[in-house]
Amino acid sequence: MNVEMRDTRRSFGKNRAVDGVDLQLEAGVFGLLGPNGAGKTSLLRMLATVLPPSSGEIRLLGRDPGGAAARREIRRRLGYLPQNLGYYPSFTVVEFIEYFALLKEMPPAAVPRAVAAAVERVDLGAKARAKLRTLSGGMLRRVGIAQAIVNDPDLLLLDEPTAGLDPEQRVQFRALMRTLGENATVIVSTHLVEDVGAACAEVALMSEGKIVFRGTPDELTARGAGHGVGDAPLERGYSAVLSAARLSEAQPGAVTAS
Amino acid sequence: MSVLSVPPSPPAPSRPAQPRLALPGAARALRLELKRSAVPWVLPLLAAVFYFDALRTADGFPPVWSQRATIIPDHMSWEVGLFAAGLAAWAGSREGRRKTLDLVGTTPRAAWARQSVALAGTLGWVLLAFLAGVAVIYGQTALQGAWGGPPLWPVLVGVACVTVVTVLGFAAGVFFPGRFTAPLAAIGVFLLFQIGFRQVLGITPSTGTYALLSPDSGVPQVDAGTYYHVAPDVSIVQVMFMAGIAVALFGVLGLAQGLRELRLGGGGAALRAVLARGDGWLVRAVAALLTAGGVAASAVAFSLAGTARPDAVTGGWQIPALHTAATDQPVPYAPDCSTSGSGFQVCVHPAFGMDLHQVAAELDPVAAEIAGLPGAPVAARQAASQVNGQEVTSGISGRPPVFVYTADHVGAYFGLFLGFDPQGWQEGFQQGLLDAFIEAPAPPGPSSARDNGPAPLDAAQQAVEDVLLAGVGSPPLGASAGHTASNGKLSTATLADINAAAHRFGALPASARHAWLAAHLAALRAGTVTLAQLP
Repeated sequence: MNVEMRDTRRSFGKNRAVDGVDLQLEAGVFGLLGPNGAGKTSLLRMLATVLPPSSGEIRLLGRDPGGAAARREIRRRLGYLPQNLGYYPSFTVVEFIEYFALLKEMPPAAVPRAVAAAVERVDLGAKARAKLRTLSGGMLRRVGIAQAIVNDPDLLLLDEPTAGLDPEQRVQFRALMRTLGENATVIVSTHLVEDVGAACAEVALMSEGKIVFRGTPDELTARGAGHGVGDAPLERGYSAVLSAARLSEAQPGAVTAS
Repeated sequence: MSVLSVPPSPPAPSRPAQPRLALPGAARALRLELKRSAVPWVLPLLAAVFYFDALRTADGFPPVWSQRATIIPDHMSWEVGLFAAGLAAWAGSREGRRKTLDLVGTTPRAAWARQSVALAGTLGWVLLAFLAGVAVIYGQTALQGAWGGPPLWPVLVGVACVTVVTVLGFAAGVFFPGRFTAPLAAIGVFLLFQIGFRQVLGITPSTGTYALLSPDSGVPQVDAGTYYHVAPDVSIVQVMFMAGIAVALFGVLGLAQGLRELRLGGGGAALRAVLARGDGWLVRAVAALLTAGGVAASAVAFSLAGTARPDAVTGGWQIPALHTAATDQPVPYAPDCSTSGSGFQVCVHPAFGMDLHQVAAELDPVAAEIAGLPGAPVAARQAASQVNGQEVTSGISGRPPVFVYTADHVGAYFGLFLGFDPQGWQEGFQQGLLDAFIEAPAPPGPSSARDNGPAPLDAAQQAVEDVLLAGVGSPPLGASAGHTASNGKLSTATLADINAAAHRFGALPASARHAWLAAHLAALRAGTVTLAQLP
């Protein structure tokens, strides 16, 4: 298992951002859906070893991130794209990705080739020498994806990866995710359900810090049968599960989510 | 909700990792930091400040190593330092300002190692700029034929000073990331130097000597380091103090990551989590050791500074625990001398060898004008301007009489190298010799025994000096309005009376003046000759 979480909780003061999540994931693309404030980003940050859990257990890539040596090894094999990508405007595309390759302790000799490959995979070859300050928002997003995948990670965490990408790039990126998911665990947090439908083999829906649905995109779509909110079938499933979860929250026992 | 029901899976095989401090990786990261540092953008401005302040001030000093070296701690340290502090704060605040903390936090490289590379990138540029400035000043001094060799302690003090403000600025950037951190850090360093350090000049043992830790030393005697070595005692404690602060701050940066995680985690649970994780114990232990070591070094330097006392031999400061008697020994030298056609020999310390021709050119005519008169010097030689910590004034002594002058007490203008005025220097120097000759001859010695500088002349002495100066082509400086007003002995005579008497005496043939002086010199020196008695 690449990701194993047991009753994981994370609180900020009285706010329970993540409230008892159990999760186990193997290689593949895993979608994480949920409304704003559902706890997706906090969950990803815990998986990225940025945020320690308040309680519960987490094992990543078969290791306990609580130990310094294990955490270093996890981070060496981790790729992370945060929701808001910070960047250094004076760096070029190649330099920024190289910087993170070095921070990920890749063998220096392998860095140039890995950087070049990552740049090509996000289709930024023509802008490789451009300063980051000159790039558009979509290009910056692709730079962020490139730094996340430069070390060929076994665990890739992507928070809103397609935000700002044009339709063509989104299609390409979904293909990239599917390719990466053949060998690695790719967790994609997004609001765009069409990304989930196109790229994810499995999806989870979070609400109020809990996972209220887990299944395939088709299963999520099936939940939306007869539900009126949403333009696409997957959106209707999303809305239906969310509505049921909220009702269950308000009236415990009314709905159960598998 | 999914329920985890399988036993933990075995860990996947580890990837081969580079050693933590693998040079190639660190070197590549450093190359990136150097390449994308903001320092080079500021170098033109820094160069302009260096040119208009440090270099031009250095130009005003004689090419004496110890003089020129004071530019390094007194000017270059704060000029480079304030830029260094601001730029380091800019670099240190980068992760917070650009909101990359989460992103870099997911990498295996420790935050301290990451920050060290960024700090090294800034510090490398800053020290390069600083040392380039030192090279320019020392190179220029060497090209001007300075005697001896370049002192290294001022350079080390400057390097320590620039380093500590760089680390200080970087730490400020890390702990208070924001767009205003950099300018505030620069302003803080500027105020520290201009108000804090300058305020402590003029310290005495009675007021405490801790202020010696300030790198701002002020301008020493013009011949400092030529007759006696400049003892490194104070420089050692300054370097020790500043390096200690820099190391301690660097150590605090290493400890800061754990504090940040505690803040993120919040509460006792987070403390237990951080402790349980054992996050980089080695890193934190090293950081703690550096912090403790730096604080200890600074504390020792602070206490040593408190024991400083004036050096009885050289006039500087000595710190007993660090002082070696060898630095109190005179520096051996062979004077540079020239002899005029009339046989008047002029010698200077070789550090002032570049001035020998000019000194001789000014003194020879005056010496010729008074040659053969009682007490007239047959030679002039330069002596140390301080003996046993007291300033020395010029005078005539010995048999045959020798005019002994110091680097900065001959005449009212000698030694005014700042804003050098060749005409004034010439006139002042000639006047200095005549002052010593016309006054009752007195041997050179500590200034406590005499007034500082040439004693004021009375009206008749002034008139005679004016005539002798005019004889060698110099204007009668002594009878100027300013000199007259400041000279209490002239209060009973007007400027016009002196000029009239000088005109009358100057109208005599040179042989007649010489004969009158030979006959009345003793009375003139005794102050018993009046203006009316001048022929």
